[in-house]
Amino acid sequence: MARSDGGFLRSAAIFALPLVCVFASLFCGRYALTLPEVCQALVSWLPGGPAAVTPESATLVLQVRLPRALAAAAVGAALSASGAAFQGVFRNPLVNPGLLGVSNGAGFGAALAIVLFGGGAAVYPSAFLFGIVAVCASYWIARVYKSAPTIMLILGGTIVSSVFSALVSLMKYVADADTQLPSIVYWLMGSLSSVGWENFWSVAVMAAGCVVLVLFAGRVDVLSMGDKEARSLGLEVGRDKGVIVAAATFATSGAVCMAGVVGWVGLIVPHIGRMLVGSENRRLIPVSMALGGAFLVVVDTCARCLWASEVPLGILTALIGAPFFVYLLKKTKGGGWR
Amino acid sequence: MTGSASAASPTADRAAGAEAARSASPPMLKARDVRFSWGDHRVLQDFSLEVERGSVVCLMGVNGCGKSTFLDCVLGENRPASGVIEVDGGDTAGMRAWERARLLAYVPQMHERTFPYTVEHLVLMGRTAYQAGFGSTDADDRRRALEALKTCGIDRLRERACTALSGGEMQMVLLARALVQDTPLIVLDEPTAHLDFKNELVFLETVERLVRERDATVLMATHAPNQAFHLAAAGLNVKVALMSHGRVAREGTPDEVLTPDALWRYFGVAAAVAEVRFRRGGDLEGFDDGRAAVVRQIVPLSTTGSETGEDTR
Repeated sequence: MARSDGGFLRSAAIFALPLVCVFASLFCGRYALTLPEVCQALVSWLPGGPAAVTPESATLVLQVRLPRALAAAAVGAALSASGAAFQGVFRNPLVNPGLLGVSNGAGFGAALAIVLFGGGAAVYPSAFLFGIVAVCASYWIARVYKSAPTIMLILGGTIVSSVFSALVSLMKYVADADTQLPSIVYWLMGSLSSVGWENFWSVAVMAAGCVVLVLFAGRVDVLSMGDKEARSLGLEVGRDKGVIVAAATFATSGAVCMAGVVGWVGLIVPHIGRMLVGSENRRLIPVSMALGGAFLVVVDTCARCLWASEVPLGILTALIGAPFFVYLLKKTKGGGWR
Repeated sequence: MTGSASAASPTADRAAGAEAARSASPPMLKARDVRFSWGDHRVLQDFSLEVERGSVVCLMGVNGCGKSTFLDCVLGENRPASGVIEVDGGDTAGMRAWERARLLAYVPQMHERTFPYTVEHLVLMGRTAYQAGFGSTDADDRRRALEALKTCGIDRLRERACTALSGGEMQMVLLARALVQDTPLIVLDEPTAHLDFKNELVFLETVERLVRERDATVLMATHAPNQAFHLAAAGLNVKVALMSHGRVAREGTPDEVLTPDALWRYFGVAAAVAEVRFRRGGDLEGFDDGRAAVVRQIVPLSTTGSETGEDTR
């Protein structure tokens, strides 16, 4: 599988894409900035750099647009890496990172925090915590005979997801209709509008999860052979599957607590990655991270620039993702899939 | 239908003799008094079996007699309630997955393909147990993969997506994957169940080559009695272990075990044993040397109308 020069150039282009998108997004917005303004702002950020000529544009770039673009890239990368890993481990190309209930669990955590504390800083840790709780519950349900077979995990995830979805409805029902309900609904549709540097602890969580996923990518391939074959090939199936699911859950929880429920990215981006570099997860997971990061930066930039008021992310990713997925299904009917 | 119980003892004597001849090394696989239940249903009861080095053991019996359950015990998928399974002299009970994967490789009946991995990548997964840390394949792994693909006669498929292969080609890929595991024992679970007429023969011929050239030992669950005759006619050391009610009821060479009497008793099938005689250079063009001039074949005639197998407990 020697990579040709063309393959190397393509890989380089793919990995440069999120950086280019982040940089480009700094120019976009209600208040247009010029190239010197953006560059000066970035340089002034460096330790020992000269002070910015225009403090307003520096604030806009460094405190508003840059953290938001980086957050979008991190969320997209985390969701895509988790999606690719989940699709491999669960041997199902139609799986998304929310399979084991992390999205609904986090949704409930956020809604609970909004109802109890009226939102604010409590939303993030609460969403994160309940995302993890949901996946642990799915795993606990799936545990039979000292292992967690794939089909039981999927069933456990379905049960837990629907329970937390009911609990979210309950929160909506008891929420104050004037103040709390809109924030719950808005949060569930996904948005990065309130992101600042103070939320970047969840980027660290996402990064940690993604690092583990990249390291375990080769084992995702082996696990996608099925539990029995993976074990006969020499994997400690229960342990490795647990590590991968935990890493993907951390990455997804970090993403969901930062951006709310953003659908489609974790499902679609790994498929685009497969079309570009093949199914081997050691290449697919890093490539998915790059593509997903770039994709979400573009979508988020659209979300804040296209209309006068912000469009929730979840709406845009679904509107862009769904037609693309239909196209993909039609196209791959005759392709490598069965 | 009488005297079947005595059939086991001469076989055991002969097995012991052959073992002594093989420098007294332990058998490749030795299962002793293995018990396994699914809930209240006892699947394996005091199951004992020995697989000599360099031999092919065909595990036979009706559907549900416990063949796959036993293979799963060997593979570490099932944990026996009691009894010992030793592979190459080591107890498998306490083995880590990677230790086991260096002793025995497994070819499933059918592999469910989900992602279009290339054939080479699929075969390289057979090196998992040898890769330290997070496992990257090196030049040696790729050399072994290519060699295994050549041994199985499918090196031309190296770059193909596995989802684009036929069932027969896929089964050969799985055999190649088992080969790069570089194990002394290969476990096959009805490997030809989904293959056509020709591919079944291609698969058997490859297994034959592995035993002959690479000194492999094979434990194979199969439903086709003629496969045992075929491999025996090719000059291999073939044993048939006929399972009934969770234990090995009869054990020996295909000629000894696969008699009309046994097929009647354990399968509920009335069958004749036909002897097909070949004249070299005569009836069949290109028939290889080193094969018996007489090949036995089971010809099933009818079912007996009775439930299969009588209670031997």
